Order: sequence, then structure tokens, then C-alpha cells
Amino acid sequence: MNDYLKYFDKFAFIIIIIISLFGILLICSVSQSLDQPYYLKQLLWLSVSLIVFFIVLRIKTEFVFRSSLFLCIVLSIILVIQLVAGQIIGGTKSWIKFGFIAIQVSEFIKIPIALYIANILSKTKIIDWFIFCKLMFLLGIPFLLIAMQPDLGTAFILTSFVIISIFLKRIKLSIIFISIMFVIIGSFLSWNYVLKPYQKNRIVSFFNPEKYSQSSGYQIIQSKIAIGSGGLSGKGFLKGSQSQYKFLPTRHTDFVVSVLGEEFGFIGISFLFLFFFILFYRQFNFKSQTDREFYFVYLFNFLILFQFSINILMSIGLFPILGVPLPFVSYGGSSLLSFFIGEAIIFKIKINNYLNI
Amino acid sequence: MYIEKKKLSIKDVQRISTFTSIILFFLFVVLMFAFWNVQVLKNDYYKSLAIKNIYREIEIKAQRGLIVDRNNDIIAENKLDFSLFLVRKNIKDLEKTIKFINIITNIDKKKILNRIKKYKEYPESYSIPIKRNLSLEKVIYIKSRFDEFPGFKIAIEPTRLYPYKKIGSHILGYIGEITFKELNQKKTGIYNLGENVGKIGVEKQHEELLRGTKGAQIVLKDNLGRIQKVLSEKNPKIGNKIVLTIDWEIQKYIEEIFKDYMGTVGVVDLRTGGMLALVSKPNFNPESFSGFLGRDEWNALVNNPNKPLINRFLQGLYLPGSVFKIVMALTGLQEKIISPSTVVNCYGSVKIYDRIFHCWNTSGHGSMNLYNGLKNSCNVFFYTLGKKLEIDIIAKYAKMLGFGSRTNMGLPNEKVGLIPTKSWKLKHLHQKWFPGETISVSIGGGMLNVTPAQVLLMISTVALRGNMPQLHILKRIEYNGKVIRKFKPIFNQVSISKKNFEIVIEGLFRAVNDEGTGSAAKVEGLDICGKTGTQPIISKENPSYERLIKIYRFKAHSWFASFAPRNRPEIAVVVFIEHGGDAGIVAAPIAAKIYKKLFE
Repeated sequence: MNDYLKYFDKFAFIIIIIISLFGILLICSVSQSLDQPYYLKQLLWLSVSLIVFFIVLRIKTEFVFRSSLFLCIVLSIILVIQLVAGQIIGGTKSWIKFGFIAIQVSEFIKIPIALYIANILSKTKIIDWFIFCKLMFLLGIPFLLIAMQPDLGTAFILTSFVIISIFLKRIKLSIIFISIMFVIIGSFLSWNYVLKPYQKNRIVSFFNPEKYSQSSGYQIIQSKIAIGSGGLSGKGFLKGSQSQYKFLPTRHTDFVVSVLGEEFGFIGISFLFLFFFILFYRQFNFKSQTDREFYFVYLFNFLILFQFSINILMSIGLFPILGVPLPFVSYGGSSLLSFFIGEAIIFKIKINNYLNI
Repeated sequence: MYIEKKKLSIKDVQRISTFTSIILFFLFVVLMFAFWNVQVLKNDYYKSLAIKNIYREIEIKAQRGLIVDRNNDIIAENKLDFSLFLVRKNIKDLEKTIKFINIITNIDKKKILNRIKKYKEYPESYSIPIKRNLSLEKVIYIKSRFDEFPGFKIAIEPTRLYPYKKIGSHILGYIGEITFKELNQKKTGIYNLGENVGKIGVEKQHEELLRGTKGAQIVLKDNLGRIQKVLSEKNPKIGNKIVLTIDWEIQKYIEEIFKDYMGTVGVVDLRTGGMLALVSKPNFNPESFSGFLGRDEWNALVNNPNKPLINRFLQGLYLPGSVFKIVMALTGLQEKIISPSTVVNCYGSVKIYDRIFHCWNTSGHGSMNLYNGLKNSCNVFFYTLGKKLEIDIIAKYAKMLGFGSRTNMGLPNEKVGLIPTKSWKLKHLHQKWFPGETISVSIGGGMLNVTPAQVLLMISTVALRGNMPQLHILKRIEYNGKVIRKFKPIFNQVSISKKNFEIVIEGLFRAVNDEGTGSAAKVEGLDICGKTGTQPIISKENPSYERLIKIYRFKAHSWFASFAPRNRPEIAVVVFIEHGGDAGIVAAPIAAKIYKKLFE
């Protein structure tokens, strides 16, 4: 236990807590305009996440890796059941209700997937067709299931695993070429047959938000106004007109950073970025004992970075609106809990490294 | 990276970490720059957009000024009404919303849609007025369903109230929604579509004085336009109070005794030229025009064959008939064609230019001088006089006495009428003047066209022995109890000698007081002078005369132009009744009642 405490990355942990509290502060700012005490709920979720975090920290890494495939399958089955029998909440079938609590299974599946891909990567020399197909199969099924909910944002985040895999491992060139072809054909088909009008609108309006300022471009424009009007030091806590007078859409979830930008200005944004930068820097630079642990840390951290970047870019109109929450900051229990579980595994890996060498 | 081996070396890990750190660093630099650009460099731009989002200047409509009569009796005031508006921006389901309005207000769905379309050039957030004068029950009902129909807005607005309803409707006029045409004519920024402006009467004539100054409220609003905070408020200013010369007691009285007729009555105070009463029948209820879409009543008024919206006193054009004999007498005297001793023998008709001209009295008046010619309204006397006069001379005096031009008494859309001349006929009809036409004009026929207001002005000028008053209905303008403008009486002397007026007045006096045609106007103790005019619609030579004359629309128009007292004239009264028949029987007694009421 002492060793645990000794090698536990207290600094990174404090950074995560600070970022989460940042989120609660922002959610608190907009709670009044949303007529719901979301910040209290989020505080509750943070407490739950911390408890789960320390429980996961006690689980042996070996066990975690071994059960990853099983968890992938179980969660995928739940996703299938949800699609077939789930009830629609907020336009999607993303939620499972347990009494008062609603859980988003799609948020959790990324952990076993990352673990299993790390497993695969650690055992291969080069990504050949066989490995590629295996990866695609592993990713594709949950991707499609989540996309059909429909929750394109969460599904899209999973593609970060492909990017980082290609980044880390040598891949056959032919795979890349053929994949690109597939992506082109796939986008064409999905544009014409799969995507819902509102999803298409989001993409079209991204390129010309002013033209759609009353409909789908509205969110981008209002978010940019919120951030831009914040200036250097912001309008002050509870004083952002865009946030308080409800011009910002989904201001407690997807556009929470716009609230930060408006009420705390460029300085507030800089602090958030600084904390995230420290967290990423710290989590990416470590010594690992085994390769799969190394791969997992990279896969999961990159996913967070990917999601962080998309959310941030979306808020200033540099990325289409995908409905992706900001990790640790946006309101949402499932998202928060899943990131804390992932981080717990990373923290554990870092402790292992010291304990066993 | 491209790790091509199964097992990672420490060097590999190092390489990856370093590379990742560099990428991480650049990513954050780019993000910081992007936010610097939006937040710091473009701060002013986005700040202005954020302000545009929340700030709103809300107009507060001003109350219209009051209109009162000479005794300060309020005849047009304001009340507060609930009005229903639609804000397009907030409409969720247009079709459902229109259906709901239709159920609540009974306004045709197509009409509602057309109305909304009319506002297409206005911003989406503009409140389109849909219905005024909503009952409290309906307001509560609509408000209870705001969540379902967020496009609705209920506001309290001042609207017009006319406590005397139909009384004096042509003086007051009415207010109605501004039309596109009016909107383009008026100065921008004062009116918006859907607002009311004066349409006729004093409401139109003095629109600028009455409308007041709008106030404004600067508020902060949320994304749905709901007010969150009021930052500042500028109160609206009520319009000016308009004091009329009309005496509403007299006006009411005349409308009561005149209620069965179509026609008009004008009463003027000869000491100032201020109108005491102006009645035109049929009239209308000015309150029918409030409300936005319920135009059925309006259509009924517009399409009514009796044209109740026409102010017959100023807009009705008629032949003056025998009343014009006053003009003829003055012309003859001033031109020295006749004198009081000139005598004409009336045998019931006279042959002039190979045509027989009839007197109304077919058995003839016998020997007539000017006094008796006026008293008995003898046509033959005036035919004979007309034969000696050129039409252009007659026209000169007629115009001098106010015919052929507007009285400008201060009501809109007044008609000019027509006093024909030789050159006029040549120019407009491309025909030369026939001398026989002059004979017709001599008894107020032919191509003459006058308004009852002009007749009142003429008789007033005669009463004042050539001192022509400026007729007016506006006494003064007040704001906040202070007089802003006051009408000063204006008189203009016409170039006809006083002596000649005295001669004509003697004739007019006899007509009423010496068993003349106007003897029904006689009031004991009051020297009333007057002239009747019975202007036939069909000629007695018409073979079916006896049958047709019993039909209303073929009955003669009746005039009675008068003033009193003879020597220090105070009041002039003109009564005109469409198809009233014999003026001496119909029009003169009404004048008598008015004098009695005024001098009691």
C-alpha cells in the first residue's frame, strides 16, 4: 500500500481533479439557465468516479487485459439489445435506465477495445491484412452499433484507435490505398442512404454557417460569439450573456468550453489548455513494463486527445458539430466515469512500472 | 514511427515519446493561436454580435391626443386593449398556429396567412398584429397555451374610443391600419406596418398633432426574445389635445332631428367663422375600424350604396338650385343690370332664345321686383336677369362668394365643385358656350356643382355684408394644459358693396318673415333671413312626371341657406336634404328648430 502511494502519480491525479472541478464550475454557471442542478449531479458522478477509480486501481493489470475481449463482446451485445429494445431518450437509443440513473454504454466500450487492440499490437510486427481485418472487425461492430443509435460523435471517436495504430505500427501500403477507396465509397453511400437530414445539415452548415444561421449553423455561430465576446479576461462568472440567456446550445455538455471562453476569457481557456497539456504530456511520457501496457496508454490517451481536440475545434467552428463532450469537463456521468476508469488503468500501469523493475 | 518489430526497445519508446511531445506542443500552440484569434483579435466583432443578440429596443406606443369640443367635452379618447401579435421567429408550427388563431378569433385562415406575408420585409422578430380588442377570457386562454404556441405575444395597446359613437363621425373620422402606400408617403421611422393612422376627418387632418411621440425601452432578452432585464426606459408622450369649434350639444341635437334624412347640415358661428355643427347623414361608427382583420363591418360601410363614409357637407356635389339666386341678385346689382325698382312680369313661363323656361309656379307670380323675386323664388325674374348677364360675369361673382374653390375649413378630401365659364367649357368639353345655358345657371341649374360647405360660406358672406369668414373647425391645440396654437378668426372683404347686400338681405328676410318660400323657418322674436332651393331631378315636361315624382330617387333635393339675426348676424345654417322634396316644407323647419335650440 505504501508503494502504491509512493508511485501513484499524484501530480497527474491532481490535474485531473482540477480539470473535473473546472467542469463542475462551468456547469454550475449554466445550471440556472437550464433549470436543473446539473452541477450537483456532476459532483455526485465525480464522487462515484473517484470511488470506481480507486477500485480499478486495485485490480491487477493482467486480469484487465485478459478480460478485455469478453467485455468487448458483452458490451456489444448490450448495444445490440439497446438498438432492438432500447427506449429513445433525447433522440437516440444511447441510454440504459437504472431507476434514476441513465448509463451510456457506448462511452464504456472504448476501454476494452483499447485494451484488446493493445494486446494485438503488442503481438504483431506489421499490420498486415489479417491484423487489419481483425482490428476492423473489433472496431467496426461497436462503431456501427453506436452510429445506429444514432450517436455519430461517440462512434467517430473510436476511429482514433485506427489513426494511432497506423501511427505506431508499420502498415502495408496496399491496405492504406484500399482503405481510402473504401472510405470514399463509404462516405458517398452513407451521405446518400445512411445520414439523417440533420446530420447532413451539420456538415453542410459547417462550411457555411452564416447561411444556416437560423438552423444548423446557429450553434456554431452562437458558440463563436460566446467565445469571441469573452475577450481576454471574460465577462465573469454567471455574467456571460450567451451562456445565461440561452443562446448557447447544449452549454453544459458539448459547448461547455464556450461557457469557459465567454465567462473566463482567453485566460480561462489558457488555464484549461495548460492543465490538459500537462496531463497529456505526463501521461504520454512514461516507462512501461510491457509493450501492451505501452500501447494501451497511447491508445487511450490519444483517444482523449482526439476527443479534446474535436470538441475544442468544434466550439470555434473549425470542426463540424459532432456532439462530442469535452473529457472530464462536460456534464455526463458515463463519459466522466469511463475516462476515470481508463485513467485508473493508466495510473496502475505507471505504478506497476516502478514496482516491478 | 513505423515500429516494425514485435518487441519495443527503450529507444523506440523514447523516440515515440519525443515525437508525441512535439506534436502535442504544436497542437496546443495552434489551439492557443486559434483562440487568441477569436477571443482577442476579433473580440470587438464578436462582442457586437453578442450585444446584438441580447439588446433590444422595444417601442412603446404613444397614446393619441384627445379630441374635445368647444366646451371641453371629450369626443375621442383612448382605452387600453389587449392585442394578439405573432412573432414569426418563434413560431413552431405555422399551420397549427393559424388554425388556433382561426378558432379563437374567427378570422379566415387565408386572411391570417396573407397578413403574415405582408410583413415579409420586416425582421423575423417583428410583432405582427393579428387581433385587437381581445376579451380577458381569450387573453387568459391564449396565455395558458403559450408553451404550445411560442409565436404568440399579447400586449396592451392604447386604442381609440369614441364615446358618442356615430355622432359627428364625419368630423372625427376614424383611425385604421396604415397601408403600404401611406407608409411610403410618410417619414420613415415614425410608423410601422400594423399601426394605426387617421384615415378621414380630424383624425387624418391632424394626424401629426395627434399621434404623440413613441417611447422606448431598452431590454436584455434571451434566445427566444423573452425579456430578462429592463435597462432603460423612455416614456412615450401623448399626442396634442385638439379643441374643436363644434358644440357637441348642438351636434347631437341636429343629428337627432335629422336622423330620418340623408343629407347634411352645417352651422357656423358668424362672429368667428368656427363651425358649431357639421352633420352628414348617413353616418358610421368610427369604432368599427378598430381590430385588425375583422373587416366585414368595414366592407359593409364601403359597399353601402348610400355611401355613409362620404362627408356630404364637404364631399357631396350638388346643383345649388334657387339658393344660387342670391349670387345672381348680387351680380345683377353690383353690375348695375338691375335695381330694387326693376320689375319683371311672371306669367308662369318665359320664352327666351326660342325656348320656353318655366317658373316653379305655373300660374305665374305676376309683377315681381327683386325683393319679391327672392321672397317667392321667382324663376322668371332670374331668367330675365340671366339673359342680361354673361356667364363669365356670373362666374366671377360666384367665385368671389366662395364657389369653385375649397373652403379649407380643416377637414381632408374636400371637393372643389364647378362654376362653368366659356373658356372652361371650350377647354374641357371642346364646345362653345350656349346662351341658353346661362339661363339654366340663373336659377342654379346647368353645369353648376357646389358643396353644401360652399353654400354655407356664401350665405355667411351675405350675412356679414361681404365680410367673408374663414370657416374652420379647429379652435386650438393644447399640450399638457398649455395652448400651443390658437385659431384667430380671419375675415376677407369681397368687392361687392354693402348696399347691395342689404337689398338682397331684405329679400331673404321677406322669404322667411313675409309669407315667402322659407316661411316655415320663421321663429318668433328672431330675424331669420333665408333662401330655399328645391332642385328638381326630373323635368315637369317629362311625360311620366306625375308618376315618377312619387318615387324617392326622383324627388327634388332640398336646400335651405339662412342666417340670423338679420342685423347683428351670429349664426348661419345650411340644410341640405337629398330627395327631400319641397325645401320650404322639409328643409326650412329643420333650420327653424336649430335656431330655436341655439337662441333659447
